[in-house]
Amino acid sequence: MTQLEITREAVRRPQNRRRKSCPFSGPNAPKIDYKDVKLLTRFTSERGKIVPSRISAVSAKKQRELSTAIKRARFLALMPYASV
Amino acid sequence: MRLYECVIIARQDVSSGHVEELLNEFCAIIENDGGSIQKREYWGLRSLAYRIKKNRKGHYVLLNIETEPATLAEFERIMGLNEDILRFMTISIEAVDEGPSVMMQVKPERSERPRSDSPRPDRGERREPAQNTETANVSVAEGA
Repeated sequence: MTQLEITREAVRRPQNRRRKSCPFSGPNAPKIDYKDVKLLTRFTSERGKIVPSRISAVSAKKQRELSTAIKRARFLALMPYASV
Repeated sequence: MRLYECVIIARQDVSSGHVEELLNEFCAIIENDGGSIQKREYWGLRSLAYRIKKNRKGHYVLLNIETEPATLAEFERIMGLNEDILRFMTISIEAVDEGPSVMMQVKPERSERPRSDSPRPDRGERREPAQNTETANVSVAEGA
């Protein structure tokens, strides 16, 4: 993409960034599992909060699955409820 | 009969041998009622993300169970009474995952790491005539 194209688009619609696709859809997407702590920590903030889907670009359906998985992992003390 | 997945956390002061004994006891409840244990995984002594009943570590065990709901209730009641069990969580599942779970796959990655710095390109012999004086001195020393 050239510099010109970016600026032209920005003028027309200031909030039109290219939408990232959901990290859990697609052919070889990881499976959401409460045991996979390494994967789940990628979707939590430093304090241990669940990252909103508007930031992580996870689809609504997968975000629901993800939040249950994180909550299960928290209950089993695999992940913190809150850190620091 | 339904499939369940159960993760059990035992107190850290209990030896791993004793944990096995306790589990055999719990599994017997299910097996005596016609259920079966499909998979049993010992994750080892892991540190907890937060303290549970003043404990910082715990023995984790994963069980995949096929049983009647009523038997499971009894299984959970007995576990809840045992003071060596810190916590357990049972969820119903559609199918048993074949092969070891993610927890068991974590370890092999560590052994691969030191490999990264061993294959280095060989820098010993340099055939081309050296341009600056410093490398020229080195090549002379090697020749002598």
